Amino acid sequence: MKRILSIITILFLGFLASTTTYAQDRFPRPDFESGYQYPATHYAIPNETLWLFVDVFLLVLMMGIVAWAVIRKRTRKPVFWVSVISVAYFGFFRSGCVCSIGSVQNVALALADKSYTIPLAALLFFILPILFTFLFGRVFCAGVCPMGALQELVNVKNYRIPRSVSAVLGIFPWIYLFLAILYAITRTGFIICRFDPFIGIFRLSGDIGLLIFGALLLLVAVFTGRPFCRFMCPYGALLNLFSRVSIWRAKITPSCINCELCHKACPVDAIRAPYNNKVKESRVQGVKRVLLYTIFLPVMVTVAALMMRSMSDSISRANNDVRLYDMVQGEATPKDHPVPELESFYGAGGTVVELKERVDVILADFKLYATFAGGLIGLVIGLTLLGLSVKRSRKSYEMDDAQCVNCARCFSYCPQNKIIENKIQ
Amino acid sequence: MNTTEQSNPNPVTRRNFLRMSGSIVAGGAIASLSGVLMKNSLAGETDYFWQIDPTKCTYCGRCETNCVLSISAVKCVHTHKVCGYCDLCGGYYRTNVKDLNTAAENMRCPTGAIKRVYVEDPYFEYTIDESLCIGCGKCAKGCNSFGNGSLYMQVKQDLCKNCNECKISKVCPSNAIQRVPYAKAYILKD
Repeated sequence: MKRILSIITILFLGFLASTTTYAQDRFPRPDFESGYQYPATHYAIPNETLWLFVDVFLLVLMMGIVAWAVIRKRTRKPVFWVSVISVAYFGFFRSGCVCSIGSVQNVALALADKSYTIPLAALLFFILPILFTFLFGRVFCAGVCPMGALQELVNVKNYRIPRSVSAVLGIFPWIYLFLAILYAITRTGFIICRFDPFIGIFRLSGDIGLLIFGALLLLVAVFTGRPFCRFMCPYGALLNLFSRVSIWRAKITPSCINCELCHKACPVDAIRAPYNNKVKESRVQGVKRVLLYTIFLPVMVTVAALMMRSMSDSISRANNDVRLYDMVQGEATPKDHPVPELESFYGAGGTVVELKERVDVILADFKLYATFAGGLIGLVIGLTLLGLSVKRSRKSYEMDDAQCVNCARCFSYCPQNKIIENKIQ
Repeated sequence: MNTTEQSNPNPVTRRNFLRMSGSIVAGGAIASLSGVLMKNSLAGETDYFWQIDPTKCTYCGRCETNCVLSISAVKCVHTHKVCGYCDLCGGYYRTNVKDLNTAAENMRCPTGAIKRVYVEDPYFEYTIDESLCIGCGKCAKGCNSFGNGSLYMQVKQDLCKNCNECKISKVCPSNAIQRVPYAKAYILKD
């Protein structure tokens, strides 16, 4: 699939920008007697401003459509078509870059490193879905995100994952998020982009391991809703937070008859069934237990922070400069074939002392940020366990706003919703 | 269950209060975050495209194999103004070939992407057929080792998917691949 390009040409002859002098002038430039003209060469540059405009326009439009369909009309059809368009446009046509999930790293880097200028596309793709989530719930996840949309479109059956298992698996997006931020702000790399399981499918090429992983995830997505969104997506973890406090949101049909059809239809287990808490426990006892766990929380934070701090050395090995320093240190043992990294390092006039200074700064950064990341991971684990220990009785079906991705499947299953719909017509 | 309701007559109000304060915090966070980021984004020129700095490139050949595309977006480009139009071209022929002819074993380019045309005695013009070029950098290495360095590697912006983080840039041994602004989408020799 080729991009349609608006082409701007740069003519070789008119190009005088380069100020660097090149060492290799071994042969004089020929004087042609036959009137030979240098061939004019031009290179195409895509018009990114235009694409940025189209991308952001579609992003906002589609999130608006989902919000209208879910909150106003309570119907699934527009959400489905938004998913199809998103997979086609953001997925296959735009090849999935830049996406909101990856933009987390650009934002983290921009906040940590003042010398980095965040591209406007990354900024808008980060902030707009968060803003819409704050206003209308996770309308971005519903079908505007091509990865969510792809999983949504292949989903057929909903085998339920036990609540305790899905809660524990729900910790992983947070770990992934904190690690991604850690690697982004130390300028090590963007791991979210690197291990994106679906981008290979959208581009129809890529790392074979990731392609297989993506295909496996899609296979799982056929039988249980959105495994990537629920148990991996780091941006989903952020939206999960904002969705809890959103101003407008999808609601259970007011005239609910407790028929459990919506509960069975929900692919992400976001509709909680009525539940009668059998644990006989007085209120004071319950409060005491929760307080005890809360006191335990700082202990978990500290332990996790110290664990990550002790691991910071091995985590930092992903950094190119740290690896280069290791290579320089290990150089004493002669190698059969030259290492391109070392050749370039010495070729560019690099000195070991200078490199060591640079690496020391990186290692110190890793130690500091890994401690923070560890603490946050401990906090998430602690809060998840705390959440699991609290059992609340429910008389009717309730929406779990944090989990709900606004796919609107429940509306098409709700018999009461059908009645309301018919009345409107 | 009943005891809970008696001792806590207004559970919904408390939950709503928590939610409201959460909303205020979240709204404030979004507003301040977008303000800070907007300021950052508009302050400097956004470097949007990935490009190879030909002064740093060492022609290691990783561009060919590490691009996310099955055929790399990195291609060899030729600046004719720098070229010496040599008969014995270091980018065209392999080193130490027996006969100077176009037999495949004498060619530097594994795909035959370099076209050689006679101009006038003793000059030959070399052009790259981009559709055949796989970005291995062998010709560029030859040209830079034995010639004027008029052959070098560039990311073709019409092919490049503009990944958020270029996969090749992470394996480049000389950190030659950097973000560049729109005006410098190609770093050409002249």
